[in-house]
Amino acid sequence: MYFEINDKQVFATTGGKPFDNSKPTIVFLHGSGFDHTVWNLQSRFFAFRGYSVLALDLPGHTKSEGPPLESIEVMADWLHDIFESLDINDVSLVAHSQGCLVGLELASRYPDRLRSVSFITSGLETPVNDALLSAAREKPESAIAMMLGWGFGSAGHLHQGPIPGNSMVSGGRKIMRGNTPDALSTDLHACNNYKNGVAAAEKVNCPTQVIVAGKDRMAPKKATDKLIEHLSGPAVAVIRESGHIVPQEAPNKCRSLLKDFIFKNNPTT
Amino acid sequence: MGFRTRQIHAGVTPDPLTGSILTPIYQTTTYVQPSVDEYLSKGFTYSRSGNPTVKALELKLADLEGGLDCACFGTGMSAVLATMLAFLEAGKHAIVSDVAYGGTYRLSTKVLSRFGIDYTFADTSNPDDVANSVRDNTALILTETPANPTMKCSDIAAISEIANKAGAVHAVDNTFLTPYYQRPFELGADVSIHSTTKYMDGHNATVGGAVISKSDEHAEAVRFIQNSTGTNMSPQVAWLTLQGCKTLSVRMDAQSASAMAIAEFLEAHPKVEQVAYPGLKSFSQHELSSRQASGYGAMLWFEVKGGLAAGKKLMDNIELWSLAENLGSVESLITHPVTMTHADVEPEERARVGIIDGLVRASVGLEDTEDLIQALSDALDQV
Amino acid sequence: MSRFLNFDTLALHAGQVVDPEFGARAAPIYQTTSYVFPDTDTASSIFNLERGGHAYSRITNPTVGVLEQRIAALEGGSAAVCTASGMAATFCAITAILGQGDHIVASTQMYGGNISLMKNTLPRFGITATFFDPTDTDACRAAIQDNTKLIYGELIGNPGLDILDLEAIGKIGADHNIPVMIDATFNTPYLCRCFDYGANMTVHSVTKWMGGHGVAIGGVVVDGGNFDWGATDKYPTITEPYAPFSGINLWEEFGPAAFATRIRAEAMRDIGPSMSPMNAFLLLQGIETLSLRMDKHMSNTMELLDYLSNHDQVSWVNHPSLASRSSHELAKKYLPKGAGSIISFGVKGGREAGKAFIENCELASHLANVGDAKTLIIHPATTTHSRIDADALVAAGITEDMVRLSVGLEDVADIKADFENGFRAAKRFAKG
Repeated sequence: MYFEINDKQVFATTGGKPFDNSKPTIVFLHGSGFDHTVWNLQSRFFAFRGYSVLALDLPGHTKSEGPPLESIEVMADWLHDIFESLDINDVSLVAHSQGCLVGLELASRYPDRLRSVSFITSGLETPVNDALLSAAREKPESAIAMMLGWGFGSAGHLHQGPIPGNSMVSGGRKIMRGNTPDALSTDLHACNNYKNGVAAAEKVNCPTQVIVAGKDRMAPKKATDKLIEHLSGPAVAVIRESGHIVPQEAPNKCRSLLKDFIFKNNPTT
Repeated sequence: MGFRTRQIHAGVTPDPLTGSILTPIYQTTTYVQPSVDEYLSKGFTYSRSGNPTVKALELKLADLEGGLDCACFGTGMSAVLATMLAFLEAGKHAIVSDVAYGGTYRLSTKVLSRFGIDYTFADTSNPDDVANSVRDNTALILTETPANPTMKCSDIAAISEIANKAGAVHAVDNTFLTPYYQRPFELGADVSIHSTTKYMDGHNATVGGAVISKSDEHAEAVRFIQNSTGTNMSPQVAWLTLQGCKTLSVRMDAQSASAMAIAEFLEAHPKVEQVAYPGLKSFSQHELSSRQASGYGAMLWFEVKGGLAAGKKLMDNIELWSLAENLGSVESLITHPVTMTHADVEPEERARVGIIDGLVRASVGLEDTEDLIQALSDALDQV
Repeated sequence: MSRFLNFDTLALHAGQVVDPEFGARAAPIYQTTSYVFPDTDTASSIFNLERGGHAYSRITNPTVGVLEQRIAALEGGSAAVCTASGMAATFCAITAILGQGDHIVASTQMYGGNISLMKNTLPRFGITATFFDPTDTDACRAAIQDNTKLIYGELIGNPGLDILDLEAIGKIGADHNIPVMIDATFNTPYLCRCFDYGANMTVHSVTKWMGGHGVAIGGVVVDGGNFDWGATDKYPTITEPYAPFSGINLWEEFGPAAFATRIRAEAMRDIGPSMSPMNAFLLLQGIETLSLRMDKHMSNTMELLDYLSNHDQVSWVNHPSLASRSSHELAKKYLPKGAGSIISFGVKGGREAGKAFIENCELASHLANVGDAKTLIIHPATTTHSRIDADALVAAGITEDMVRLSVGLEDVADIKADFENGFRAAKRFAKG
C-alpha cells in the first residue's frame, strides 16, 4: 500500500492482507540498497496469521519516493512518523542489517511503541570500508557487485534458494539497480556515520532477539557479539550455514525463529 | 504389517529435503562427504558400493523376503554369480539343481569350473539325490523351485536340513514364485536369489538381480562380492523396479489365476500331449507345491501332439503371445527353451532333466484370460 | 565465495544444493508427482506462496528447479521457468501478460513456429501481431500501437540470419514502457546475455544448443527482472491482485521475479506444460559442457565459412559474421564469441542441385532440427517450404538453391569431405 509521510509517497507491502491497525503489527525494515521484497518469505506468512504487516521501502528504494534518508537517526524518526501517521502501537520490528541500527535508535527514542525488536545480522555500528563507499558514489555497478558478493553466502553465489526457479542473487542485483542512483551510497554513508549504537542499545527495554549468520562477512561474530552484550538478555540464535542476507538465504529457519519469538512477545488474541 | 502394505511402503520414506513421496533417482557416481572425520557418515561414498535409490529397493526386497539384508545386482545372473563367489572358492564343491536355468548351468560348467570349483548337478526334486551328492567340501547347495522351464519343484525344508547338516549354505532361486507365494527363509534356507527382471519389475523394463540373506555373516559375504566385482544395479533400474514391486501381489494373483485357467484349458485340449503346472492335480509335485508355497505362479509348459514341429508351428502362428525370452512380465510370452533359453545345455543333459524338444514354455501375463485362451485356441487350430 | 562466479563454474554448479541427505554429487532425479508435507501449516504456506517448496510436479519439481536456477544464473535473470518445449515457453510467456485486444510487435525473421503462433493461433484469442523487418528498427517503432504490450524477436534471425539491434529495440521498449522478449535459442547465454542489452525476458528452446545432444525436448522462460511493470497500468496480470492466491499482488511480493511467478502460478497450474524431471536431468548434463561445445561449434563454423566461401560450386554464403553482410557490425557487438552455428548457402544449379547436394551427404543428417551436436542440413525448397511457389519462396527469404546448415561438433575435415560428395553429385546441374 502507498501512504504519505512528509509529503512523500511511501510504499509498504502488507503481505497480501489489508492493513488493520487494530491488530498487532509487524514492521519489516530492509538493509542497505535492498527493498521490501527481501522479506517476501516472511511478511506474507505473518499477514496470514493474524498480524498486520508493513514491509517498507525506505525513501528512494524501489517504490518509495526519494530522496534517500541521510542518517540512521533520520530513518528512526521517519519510522516513528509512520507509526504516528498510521496510528499503530504494539509493533514488533523485524530489521535486517542497516535496519537494525534504525531499530536500535528507534527503540531507544520511542521505547513505548515497540513490543519487540528482532535484529538480523547486525552489530552496534556498521563501519563501511572506503573502497565500497567510494564505489557506491562513483561506480554503482561495482558497489552492487561488492554488496552482493560479500553479502550472499555460498547458497546465493550458487544461485540456490528456496523458491524453485528463482535466483536470489540475480534478483538482488535487479533490486539494487532499480533504486534511485544515490540510494546505496546514501545508505552506506548513513551506516558508516552512525556511532550511537552502544548508548542506544542500553536504552532498549523491550524483548529483543538477535539472529546471527555463521558465514556473515558483513556483520562478523565480533560485531554481533557486541550487540548481544549491550542488549538486555536478547534471545540469540545462530544460522550456521547462512551468509548476511538471512531473510533470503535461510528463509525457513529465519521465519521459524521470528515466529517463535513474536508469537510469544506480541501474541494475536 | 501385511504383504500388500509392505510391498508399497517398505524401504521408501518421503525425501526429507523436499517431501518427494517417491525416492529420487540418485543418478550420481559419488557423494560429497561432510568432512574427513565424517567420511561415510551419510552412508554412501561411491555408487558401486552403494546408492540411495538402490538401497531403497534393497530394503524393500529384504523386508518382503523376511531377510536381514539384500544386495541388488545388474542382472539376475550377477546375483547367482555373487552367491557362488560369496560361498565358494577353489577346492570347494557345490550342488546345483540339474534343472536350474540354462544360464546358471553355463556359469557353473563353463566359467567357475575353470577356477577350481567342483559342481554336481543333482536332481533336487529328490532330496535323497541331494544327500547322496554331499561331499566333505560341499559349501553351497543351489536350488531353483519351481525350476525353469521344467517346473520341477525342490523340497526347500528337506534340502535345508541336508545343507545344515553338511555345513553348507542353501540358496534358493525364488524368482518364479517371489516372496508373495514362497518364503524360503521360513522353510530353513539361508539365501534367496531373484532375477528382479521377472515379477519384481513385471513390466519388461529392466534387467536386475537380488540376493537376500538371512544372517549377517552371509550378508557380509555377498556385500563384499557386490563391491569387489562391481556387478551393482543402476539407480534407474532400481527406481523402476521399486515401482513394479508396488503391484507385485496383485499381478501375481491375477497372472496365477489366468495361468490356472490356461493350464486347465490346455490339459483338456485334444491337440495337447501334456501340461505341467504346479496348480494342476495332475502335476507330479502338486502336493509339495501346495505345502511349501501359497500360490502356484504364472509359469507353465506344455507339449503339442506332434512334438517339435507342431510346437514350432504353434509358436510361429500364435497371436497376442510374444515369442520372446524373459518371463514374469505383464505381457504374455511364449518361449522354446531348446532353441532359446536352454540352447547352451547339451542335448543329452536336456533330455536327462526333462527339457524335451517339443516343450513350449508359457509365461502368463496380465491380459484378459479369455483373450489369452482364445489366442492359444486359434494357434492350436492351425497345428 | 565472495565474488560472483563465472560462466563455466555456474554451468556446472548453479542451482544445485548438494543433496543434504546422502551428499549425492549429481542432482537426484525426482521422478515423483507429489510431495509429502511435514504438517498442515507448511502445506498451507506453500500453497499460499508464503514459502518456497514443492507440492505437485506440474508446478515445481526439485530436479527441474536445478535446471531453472542454473539457466537463470547463466542468463543473469532473476528467475526461470522450464516448460515441456520451446513453443510452450513462448506461449506461456506471451499469455502471462497479454490478453484479448492486445498487440505484439514482432520480427519477421523468426522460427516458423513463433510466426505461426502469432499469425494463426493467438489471433483466435484476440491477440494480434504486426511484423517488422529486423534490419529496420524504425519499422519496429512505427509498428507500435496503443494496445502494443510486447516486442518480440530473435537476436539471430531465422532464416535470414540478420542480427536484431538489441540495444535500439530495448530503447524503443523502454521509451514506450513495453517489455522486450527475445527468443535466444540460437545464441544461448554463452554467446550473448540479452539482458545486458535491454531485453527484459528471454525464451529458449533448450532442446537445441543448451541441451546440445538432441535427446530431450524442453523450453525455458527467463525473467530479466529489469522491467518496471508498475510504471503503467498496462500489465494487470502482474500488478493487480491475483484471485487464485488470496489476491496476491505479484509485483509487490516478488518484485524482480513477478513475471516468472505469474507463469508459475498461472500457466503451470492452469495449462500445465511442465518439463519432466528426466528431461531436466538430461538437459543439465548438456549444459555442463555448454561453453566447450559452443566454442567448437563456432570454430567449426568459421572453418566451414572459409571453405564454402571459396568453393566454386557455392553461389552465395550467409552468416552474420561475414564482412559482406550488413549485420556484420551488430554481430561483432552482440556476439563477439561468434554469431551462431547456422550457415545458409546456395548450391550452383538451383533446386535440383540443392536437392542432389543434400541427398549425397552421408555424415550430415538431413532433418529439420538445429543445434544438435551432429551436423544437420536441410533443403528448405524441397522440404519445409516445398508447397509454396518460387515467388513466395523469395518473399520468405528462401531461394531454390538454399541449403541450411547447423554446424555440428564433428572433425571439420570430415564434414568438408562429406560435403565434397554432395557437391560432386550437384555438379551436373551447375551450368557455367
